[in-house]
Amino acid sequence: MASKKAAQKSLSLAPVLDLNEATALHAQLMGLKGGPLVIDASAVERVGALCAQVLMAGAKSWEEDKQPFTFAKVSEPFMKTMQLIGVNIDHLLAQEARQ
Amino acid sequence: MDMNEIKEIFFQECEEQLAELESGLLKLNDGDRDPETVNAVFRAVHSIKGGAGAFGLDDLVSFAHVFETTLDCVRSNKLEPTQDVLKVMLKSADVLADLTNAARDGGSVDEARSRTLIRELEALANGEVPAAAEAPASKPAVAAPKAAAPAPVVEKPAVNDEGFQPIPFSFGDFDEEPADRYVPTCQILFRPKKDLYAKGNEAALLLRDLSRLGEMSIYCDMDSLPPLDKMNPEEAYFSWKISVTTDKGEDGVRTVFEFAEWDCDLDIRTIEEEVVGEAANEEELPMQPVPFDLSILDEGGSTGSDEEPAVIESDAAAAVAAAETVSKVAQVASRAAENAKAAASAASAAQANQAAAAGQTIRVDLDRVDRLINLVGELVINQAMLSQSVVENDTNGTSSINMGLEELQQLTREIQDSVMAIRAQPVKPVFQRMARTVREIADITGKSVRLITEGENTEVDKTVIDKLAEPLTHMIRNAVDHGLEMPEKREALGKNPEGTVRLTAKHRSGRIVIELADDGAGINREKVRQKAIDNDLIAADANLSDEEIDNLIFHAGFSTADKVSDLSGRGVGMDVVKRSIQALGGRISISSKPGQGSVFTMSLPLTLAVLDGMVVTVAGQTLVVPLTAIVETLQPEASAIHSFGASQRLISIRNSFCPLVDVGRILNFRNTQANPMDGVALLVESEGGGQRALMVDAIQGQRQVVIKSLEANYTHVPGIAAATILGDGRVALILDVDAVVAASRGQSLRQDISLAATG
Repeated sequence: MASKKAAQKSLSLAPVLDLNEATALHAQLMGLKGGPLVIDASAVERVGALCAQVLMAGAKSWEEDKQPFTFAKVSEPFMKTMQLIGVNIDHLLAQEARQ
Repeated sequence: MDMNEIKEIFFQECEEQLAELESGLLKLNDGDRDPETVNAVFRAVHSIKGGAGAFGLDDLVSFAHVFETTLDCVRSNKLEPTQDVLKVMLKSADVLADLTNAARDGGSVDEARSRTLIRELEALANGEVPAAAEAPASKPAVAAPKAAAPAPVVEKPAVNDEGFQPIPFSFGDFDEEPADRYVPTCQILFRPKKDLYAKGNEAALLLRDLSRLGEMSIYCDMDSLPPLDKMNPEEAYFSWKISVTTDKGEDGVRTVFEFAEWDCDLDIRTIEEEVVGEAANEEELPMQPVPFDLSILDEGGSTGSDEEPAVIESDAAAAVAAAETVSKVAQVASRAAENAKAAASAASAAQANQAAAAGQTIRVDLDRVDRLINLVGELVINQAMLSQSVVENDTNGTSSINMGLEELQQLTREIQDSVMAIRAQPVKPVFQRMARTVREIADITGKSVRLITEGENTEVDKTVIDKLAEPLTHMIRNAVDHGLEMPEKREALGKNPEGTVRLTAKHRSGRIVIELADDGAGINREKVRQKAIDNDLIAADANLSDEEIDNLIFHAGFSTADKVSDLSGRGVGMDVVKRSIQALGGRISISSKPGQGSVFTMSLPLTLAVLDGMVVTVAGQTLVVPLTAIVETLQPEASAIHSFGASQRLISIRNSFCPLVDVGRILNFRNTQANPMDGVALLVESEGGGQRALMVDAIQGQRQVVIKSLEANYTHVPGIAAATILGDGRVALILDVDAVVAASRGQSLRQDISLAATG
């Protein structure tokens, strides 16, 4: 689901990010490594801890590579789940997505 | 991993849990009061329930739940596990197994039976006053209509019509702490394991349910999270420190983690107890409050396709709703149970770790193992061929090639042994199934029976295990139905009214020996003899030894039971047993003492893949005779051979006569009788205990041969059990000794031999 947009790549997350999706998401992220990444989480309806782990590991790796890793758009369920499981993604939110 | 795979794993685990459950219950039945045993039993039911919940198997969940509730009473010492209680529990374990099988393979279960048991279990659980605390836990079960509403039962706790006396329970010890005066804060350390996710549980959903209990703050520990390229997306890295202020207390929190308890590290403490202690440093963690409305997540959850969140949800919701209705009494009681529970779960966690460390196993497709075994068989044959051709071509004697070949031979032998060991499995599962058979028959016949098993860990090839269950079931039925007397009669005879059936397995000289002994009446030889005469099996004036009379029961169409019962006595039992044991290359014998019981002894090969055999020549053909059948070999002398009737001959061995069987003639290898003096006689043990001398032309030697099925590759040939490939690449047939002996008795090998010969 990666589409090239100028230099930076973007990734739209699937609506349901459950156990079955974690491996796929991991593979997608691995394929996008090395450049700036913008994630669109606006379609997410459900997200599980495993996918949250993958996303956070991604954020960590991008940080190590000194590349930007941002969430351009986030859905409400996505935000709430992240809050619920105590994962703070405020610093990863793109400017316009912050309330 | 898709859902079906997970489901398959769940059912495999169910089987293990059911075995664990049954052995635990049997231990309790034997008077074991170790809390760890009770825990193991509880854990087994709990895991099944948890998994079943995730897959939406409502019947299973509701039954497991009632069962679990009752077990919890035992666990918290509210219910004494007496024999009567355990009888109900063992039956429940059987029903649980049935329900699991029905969920996997379809089919139906005996509804009436499970309903009765649910009632009995509930009666047990509610047999005492503090059972009020169990009432909320029973609530989720109302989804299934058969779980008779537990609430009314609480009103009249003394359920005497089931025959269980209530045990008075004192509240005195717990009076000083009314639970509702403060709202306690729980500090929770939640570290999921990989299994939690693999089983379809979702940490986020657990946390959501937790947040419903009250005000919650959370800290997610991501320290162990590796960078993206080093992570396994299905591994659990996150762990959480949570604090919840809730009036549901620790129990409410535990309810949330109910299904996940065994797949995560969970530490729950109530702050009030901790404040004095070391809680202060925990407070410094940067907790994130979770004070928002989560309803949006519910919608997300319910639009999802899989049903697991819904199940967990309804369970939790029901528990919450129910908890509100519980009286103060219940709260006090549950607080009392808390301490016991915490200790128990700590102990069980320790045990779980121990179990994980004990031995690592992998599940492998049987096909793969069989393919490997087949290949190793080929390797052995190939190695034999290679060494034979080297020996034939090598005139120098000891060359380095020979040395290498010997090493190769040892290696292949070792590989073969290890590969065979892969297929070897303990007989335990079969023995456990027998326990159930005994219970059911004892119930139907109204006898009281105790099954003692020994040597359950004796290992034998999986094929043998699979084929052992049926004959064993037959024999156990016979032992209980015909062997044991009614309790009153036993008492009159001065025996323990409870009959004993002993099932043992052991290794003996490369075979497995299974013994089934009962302490019943033994075989009534007079009756057997009369019956045999009535059925024209023997002549009225036949002079038979005790052993021969005993062996009559293996004849087809023989039954001593006066009337045909549902269980056994149709006269098809023992001859079927004998045939299936023989089909496995085994032997069965019987010894019986009047008034003291009978012992059936079965001796079976450890594997059906290799066989130690005597390689012999008959009419220019090479045959293999299974070594286990041969008692001795001898060179007949002219003086020992006697003619008998038109074509029969006898050989006199140590002053007793034994029929001489010409193998070549029986198998139609030649049309004329061979001269006994030119050949060798193999004395073999045959059906019915008698001995026969098989006549062959020459003995080539003893060898371990790899069995190749004739049925699979060609077709069944009467008188031949299987085939093998010799070192020179030729096929040799393995003799079916019993068939040949039977043929020598006049009933020639079935007519299809001619078809087989031409076909």
